[in-house]
Amino acid sequence: MELGLKPLGRERLVLGLMLLPTLIGLVFGVLGSVLATVGLSFTRWDLLTPPKWTGFTHYVALFTDDKFIRALTNTFKFSALYVPGVVIISLLVAVLMNRKIRGLSLFRTMYFLPAVTSAVAAALVWNLIFARDFGIINAILERLGGQAVCWLCADHILTAVLIVNVWGAIGEGMVIFLAGLTAIPREYYEAATVDGANETEKFLHITIPLITPSIFFQTIISTINAFQAYDYVYMMTRRGQGDSSFPVVVFSIYRNAWNFFNYGGASAQAVELAVLVMILMAFYFWLERRFVVYE
Amino acid sequence: MKRLVSSVLVVAAIALSACGGKPPTQAPAAGGAPVELTFMMWGAPEELAVWNEIVKDFQAQKPNITVKVEVSDWEAYWEKLKTMLAASTPPDLFAMDAPLYLDYQSRGVLKNLQPYLDKYPNMLNGIYPQTLEAYKLADGYYGLPRDFQTIVLFYNKGMFDAAKVAYPTADWTYQDLREAARKLILDTNGDGKIEQYGFYSDLWDMELVWSEAIWAYGGDILSADHSKTLIGDSKARQAWQLFHDMMFQDKSMPDTTTAAQFGGDPFQAGAAAMTTIGHWAVPGYNAVNFKWDVAPMPKGPAGAATSVNSAGFVVAQGSKHPDEAFEFIRFVLSPAGQTRLTELGFAIPVLTSVAESDTFLKQPGPGIHQQVFLDSLAFAHMKPVFKGYDEWSAAVGDGMAVIWTGETDLNTTLNEVVVAADEVLAKNK
Repeated sequence: MELGLKPLGRERLVLGLMLLPTLIGLVFGVLGSVLATVGLSFTRWDLLTPPKWTGFTHYVALFTDDKFIRALTNTFKFSALYVPGVVIISLLVAVLMNRKIRGLSLFRTMYFLPAVTSAVAAALVWNLIFARDFGIINAILERLGGQAVCWLCADHILTAVLIVNVWGAIGEGMVIFLAGLTAIPREYYEAATVDGANETEKFLHITIPLITPSIFFQTIISTINAFQAYDYVYMMTRRGQGDSSFPVVVFSIYRNAWNFFNYGGASAQAVELAVLVMILMAFYFWLERRFVVYE
Repeated sequence: MKRLVSSVLVVAAIALSACGGKPPTQAPAAGGAPVELTFMMWGAPEELAVWNEIVKDFQAQKPNITVKVEVSDWEAYWEKLKTMLAASTPPDLFAMDAPLYLDYQSRGVLKNLQPYLDKYPNMLNGIYPQTLEAYKLADGYYGLPRDFQTIVLFYNKGMFDAAKVAYPTADWTYQDLREAARKLILDTNGDGKIEQYGFYSDLWDMELVWSEAIWAYGGDILSADHSKTLIGDSKARQAWQLFHDMMFQDKSMPDTTTAAQFGGDPFQAGAAAMTTIGHWAVPGYNAVNFKWDVAPMPKGPAGAATSVNSAGFVVAQGSKHPDEAFEFIRFVLSPAGQTRLTELGFAIPVLTSVAESDTFLKQPGPGIHQQVFLDSLAFAHMKPVFKGYDEWSAAVGDGMAVIWTGETDLNTTLNEVVVAADEVLAKNK
């Protein structure tokens, strides 16, 4: 960041003004609920009667709460695969979409479409695609001589949920990377061509280093999204009245608050999730100083 | 500038505290002053139209009272309701599912209706006593039922005819159910995958089939003081074993993963010959293209048993117009209101005179034996009502779910579930 241009005088004022709407929203919309969540996490609150102070009880209980630990484990497993999945695939898609090919805008639109499709509707269609007996994936597998797989059962649910979540996130990742790619000066590639570099070498030695700011940004966004994953996951794994066969942390927060009258415990889970994300962010920013190149 | 900011904050604080404070007690609008009530409920969108009809009939009697009806789907309803209650801006009247009643009543957000009932001592005459039981507490009623559900056996006549199996009768036992279900299995294209199952019912919530079976086998769900979960006792275990055998031995009942592929209701999808469910399913089943009818729940070693549960309404403690709200309840429980409600087709009216009239018994549809729903009351157990119900039912439903996907063993899991469920009960004491 230090290498970038620093805003001066008038520019600073303009910048401030442009940030104002977001800041107002944050301060009056989000800050209040964040503070309230932190406060409530130290109380027992059922929403209907006044909160009772309980100190760190909820936080201590989280360490032995099997359901929460299961949700947290699922969230970590999911995030560990989701983040690289989204970053790598959307970068590759962006590189493909950064060429002069026929129907480019059509392809770009198609890749972006999931981002503007209702997650609930999309997940329902995916459920049909993944269905064990009538699903198209298993039909293809069996046609090719393979074995039908129960995608939505315990053994494969992580894979199925990952596929759908990554599919849903490629569009936005692609846009970020396309912006980064178009900013790379063409001369670098021309110079490399003159020096006899092939496509792979150009990608590894020019594209990747110069696009590190976008990779960094996309990794942060994907990590936050991974820890907040809920809609596709819930729609693909729900069963009974509000249960999920693959509970993630956000699901656990929701269920404790709205089904179990346990807003204090749910708040503690939310705070713990936020703290974990913050720790990861601190680690990312440490990595940024070592690896990210700002031109 | 600073002064401006601080005065704005003070005004905002006053406004906020005014919202949070107790609502002013108003004198009842004596026939004249217009009053607007809000009535919130869960339900299907088409229910709104019928409720607006009921409101119109009500207004013909009480022209000064307007009732704004808001219908949301089940999950959204409870979220919205809790938020409004927490913000001290509750709807005047709202719908209540009997098992959840104590979770709200014990937190002081419901108004005791006893003083109003005392004014109309005959009001509850003619209402099925089994439906009132859930709401009755030591110091009176904090809610009243508006309609109810008994669970019965639904069967697909065409599938029975094709398999040459006799239709279910009132004398059927769970063994008869199991045997018939086995005979009704079909693998039409011979690929080794079942296309038609004999039986399907949801095993997450107790109401659909498992509480009925446990009672019929002589077991129980909870101890009378709601401190112990009894679903793991030996008689109850026989009931669980029955469904487990039907699912994994006979394969006459699809596991949850398979059932989900039929939209969660293989009976409606024409892929299961029998199911057990309440009257709320009837409007949906009226639209299917096969012939079906209903029979009472099968009997077990301890005799016949089914479940009765009601949807009711309650008045918010913070309502500014409790008198008018009660007037509306009184109207919905009158023959006129109950008749309209019955025309909706989703439930059984709580007023005996309407339930036993042609409005209910001869309602439009394929002419099924509606009487079965009423006769079932004779051996119906009330779906348990206790504090912590929502969390307890999740501990049981979520805990048992892994059995019905075939992931875990019945007895071990059941033992663990009972421990977890008892913990919930202890916490909610």
